[in-house]
Amino acid sequence: MAGQSDPHISLFSAEEVEFMAEDELIEIVPNMRMDPLNFICGDFGPFLPQIATQVPMWLAVALKKRGKCAIRPPLWMSVENLTKVLEGERDSQGAFQALPFHYVEISRLLFDHARDDIPDMYMVRSLIEDIRDVRVHKVETSLEKFSGTSAVKIPNLSAMEVNIIRPFVGRALQAFYKHDNPEKIPDVDRASSGQTRVANNEPRRPLRR
Amino acid sequence: MKIKSLKLREAHKGSANASFCSILWDLNAHHLVTASSSEPSISIHDPLLPSNPPRVLRHHRDGVTALALSPNSTCLSSGSIDHSVKLYKFPGGEFETNITRFTLPIRALAFNKSGSMLAAAGDDEGIKLINTIDGSIARVLKGHRGPVTGLAFDPNGEYLASIDSIGTVIYWELQSGRTLYTLKGVAPDTGSDTSILNVLSWSPDGETLAVPGLKNDIVMYDRDTAEKLFTLRGDHTQPICFMSWSPNGKYMATSSLDKQILIWDVNRKQDIDRQKFDNRICCMAWKPIGNALAVIDVMGKYGVWESVVPSSMKSPTEDIPSSRSKNSNGLLFFDEEDEEDQELSMSGSLSDLGEDSHGESEPPSRKRLRKQSVIDDDQHEDVYNELNLCTKTEYRKKVHRINKESSDKERDGSRSMMTFRPKMQEAFQPGSTPPQPGKRNFLCYNMLGSITTIKHDEYSHIEIDFHDTSTGPRVPPMTDYYGFTMASLNENGSVFANPCKGEKNMSTLMYRPFSSWANNSEWYMRFEGEEVKAVALGGTWVAAVTSLNFLRIYTDGGLQKHILSLNGPVVTAAGFKDELAIVTHISDCLPSNEQMLEFRIFNISKGTQPFKGHLPLTPGSYLTWFGFTEEGQLSSYDSKGVLRVFTSQYGGNWLPLFSASKERKSGENYWVVGLNASKLFCIVCKNPDSFPQVLPKPVLTLLNLSFPLASSDLGEEALENEFMLNNLHLSQIQKRIEVMADEGLDTTPLDDEAFDIEAAQDRCIFRLIASCCNGDKLVRATELVKLLSVEKSVRGAIQLATALKLPILAERFNNILEERLQSKTEVLKTSLPRSKHDRNVKADVAASMALTATERNGDQTACLEDSREVNDAGKNAGPSQVKNLQTQRPSNPFLKLPNNQEEKKVEEVMSESQSQGPSNPFFKSSNKVGEATGIQQSHRPSNPFLKSTAK
Repeated sequence: MAGQSDPHISLFSAEEVEFMAEDELIEIVPNMRMDPLNFICGDFGPFLPQIATQVPMWLAVALKKRGKCAIRPPLWMSVENLTKVLEGERDSQGAFQALPFHYVEISRLLFDHARDDIPDMYMVRSLIEDIRDVRVHKVETSLEKFSGTSAVKIPNLSAMEVNIIRPFVGRALQAFYKHDNPEKIPDVDRASSGQTRVANNEPRRPLRR
Repeated sequence: MKIKSLKLREAHKGSANASFCSILWDLNAHHLVTASSSEPSISIHDPLLPSNPPRVLRHHRDGVTALALSPNSTCLSSGSIDHSVKLYKFPGGEFETNITRFTLPIRALAFNKSGSMLAAAGDDEGIKLINTIDGSIARVLKGHRGPVTGLAFDPNGEYLASIDSIGTVIYWELQSGRTLYTLKGVAPDTGSDTSILNVLSWSPDGETLAVPGLKNDIVMYDRDTAEKLFTLRGDHTQPICFMSWSPNGKYMATSSLDKQILIWDVNRKQDIDRQKFDNRICCMAWKPIGNALAVIDVMGKYGVWESVVPSSMKSPTEDIPSSRSKNSNGLLFFDEEDEEDQELSMSGSLSDLGEDSHGESEPPSRKRLRKQSVIDDDQHEDVYNELNLCTKTEYRKKVHRINKESSDKERDGSRSMMTFRPKMQEAFQPGSTPPQPGKRNFLCYNMLGSITTIKHDEYSHIEIDFHDTSTGPRVPPMTDYYGFTMASLNENGSVFANPCKGEKNMSTLMYRPFSSWANNSEWYMRFEGEEVKAVALGGTWVAAVTSLNFLRIYTDGGLQKHILSLNGPVVTAAGFKDELAIVTHISDCLPSNEQMLEFRIFNISKGTQPFKGHLPLTPGSYLTWFGFTEEGQLSSYDSKGVLRVFTSQYGGNWLPLFSASKERKSGENYWVVGLNASKLFCIVCKNPDSFPQVLPKPVLTLLNLSFPLASSDLGEEALENEFMLNNLHLSQIQKRIEVMADEGLDTTPLDDEAFDIEAAQDRCIFRLIASCCNGDKLVRATELVKLLSVEKSVRGAIQLATALKLPILAERFNNILEERLQSKTEVLKTSLPRSKHDRNVKADVAASMALTATERNGDQTACLEDSREVNDAGKNAGPSQVKNLQTQRPSNPFLKLPNNQEEKKVEEVMSESQSQGPSNPFFKSSNKVGEATGIQQSHRPSNPFLKSTAK
């Protein structure tokens, strides 16, 4: 896609999407003893050495940085599964394989911080990159085809992918709508000319809340 | 048919020299496995698509000389010139383990019919019998003078026959490991040419053993007497180098050094077909389903000879009279040299000739299925048929009858002997794994950390790691020149010991503290003529049990403090603080294959022996883990997956608290590491591994403890289990409270714990009552009500009974409550005069009752919720009743307050009583009936009111 990480085009920056992904739970194996942590988002722990427990991604990364735990890569991040997914992605033109909503961000975080915990790290990494490329390509080709619709439904699209195409699709659909209903053009134009300009210039501010 | 020549396809390149190659089919004839002794790879071919490249397994470093498939075709084993025997999954081909090593090349492998045992032999002296489950060597059979080249398990599981390159055949009795018969020089001497291996093979019914003879023939020997029965002699012009029984035992294929294969009709002792090849055929295998023979020559070329037996004759797989039952028993038909091992005997073939020779139109695979259901009776019948139809001499008949009967009787016994340990188990360290060449293994793994070792050429490398890296001491790795095989670890230090290896390497015990104020505080003990068998470590002592059955106790400074004599050979030892527990054998195994073990607990610092007794094991199992819970209860885990915890209930008993068979998901083994009061910590190992590897670092899994309860008519196993566990914990805590109280220590935290468990127990009982009421088990419900510890819960039960329209039950509950209140007021009255404070009794009682009411409020709501659930589920549910229940709730006879004001009033009463004096003797009196004494009781933290007012 033209502006994969251009902050002016996507609603959120990649970092922001990653930030949201950090709330996903992941399994860690701590190597220290610690009482349960009581957060607003929930209670985690107790932490006992060599006993796996579920924590949010951000906590896992924080502990990992301090050498207090090993992160267990999620089940979908196995070479077999990813190979299967990649094959599935290549085989089916229209549909997307089921992957976690935040798969791009989670895998990126793990590659950055927990490379020693992922078996066949390079294989996994290249598989995920391949999957991402195939999917993005598929999104692009499918976007080329859509026409005259008022809505687009793509199941199993992940956060990062949605984030990339959302502004474009939104505007494109708006344009379609405009052209399909010529009698409404003046209304739309007049009513939303100011708004669309605002949205074009700074689309992020009103949506960030 | 004779003109047709067979095209062979290259499987293994090999060298220009002739080399021995192996071929075998899997159970369903979906795969062909080939190997060559000139090449390290094993190929798994698809016989339907021979042009597809085979799956290649390259794990050996030198030529593969022997292959064997387990009878159910799930496990492939290979032996090689590189001295190792490896196991693979089949048909996937994933490498599993190096199950054993020799010092010289392997030449022969064979699985027994259940697949639990693998026999391996080669140029080494001795045939190793390996337990395939855990890789332990069950026996080493020594007796051959030359390299052993052929092995065959008798299909009935009693004997092993072996042949060596100088032509000696030995019959071994598996159960005892004795040599039954040694037939010297009956087979050709193959000399030093390793491309020719003498082989031998049992007929599929196990009645005859076929051995290549000296006159270019095949000689048949009797199963039980080893007498020569008859020979197959024909057109072979040179000695026979391989033979294979057809699956039904009617035919035999033989290959000879003259590059011919002959097919024999065994009954008529005549050859029926032949085929000439360019090279010598060194291995053959009959297709288990269908009429075909797979062959491989010494150049590594293989092929499948279709329609071997002329269509005018019976198919080689058709009607397998007595082997049918054995097939389903798991008879090995695809064992390397033994894959040919199919059926036949004189008598067996007679019987089927007489019975069912015509018109079998069913496909063999379907027949096989049908046959599986017949199993043993069938075999018996066949035996009798054989006996009745036998037209041999009277003598033969007798021998048969006697042997058959005895063998049938013994079969079960010997089979189980083979699957499990055939003898008393060896000493072991809890939490250790067997050494694996080239890999690290655990010397000790417990809840605290692990000690791992890896062997290099001359020395080993030992590492000590703590799970908790933040608080545990950091221990530098060490180089071990002793070859330690036993170790134990606690927070203060580690102890190591090695067995003695010959004269120069004596058994040594070493202790290494992790932190000490003095330098060189590690110490060594050397044992002359004695060998350390097990070590254990405690708070301030080190214990070692030796081969002379001495228990030697040292201080952690190395002072030799005590030496005790034990009753029998040690099995294992474990330490916890002051306590040392030791398991010893007290006698040989029972005939039922149960080991007789005894345990003793020593208190080292006091010099006492609080307990000793038998250590129970599941029949037919052996001890795999032994240790203490985190609370200090002794516990054991056996190979059948039963965890037992020792309690002092009933004068000291073992309670089964976990059963892997109930828990186990298929294909998982639990390797126990430790446990606490409610959870078992273990490492889950995927089958067939029974122990974890050092890398990747194993992760502990928590499993709930549970009694192996019978499934009751109530269908509430979970609740009943909780009930029993709570009871157990309660009794343990009360015992500890007693001990602490005797020592004059503060029991407050334990009291609190006991109280929490009591509360949980009441909730559990209440739910049980509810399900009893629903299940119409009213007597049981009444019994349960009696067990409730607080009368508030009893009230809840009454309400429940009323809501469920069980007035009789409610009445009974009411009686119980009244009795309880009565006995309580009596206790109150008697205890009052002892009270120092001259207070208004009534007010105090009211206060205490109110306290209970509020304390139990949470309880009560839980109960009500339960009862509401019950209501909803019950047949006579109605919203009005639930409302009723709500309004009934406040009916506290002592307070007589409306419910919504109860709490307020309680507060008032509370403050009142507080102002009256801090030591209200009734603060707790109502928590437990009969505990209302004037002693100052601790404040319950679970009572919010007490907390607030006490501040």
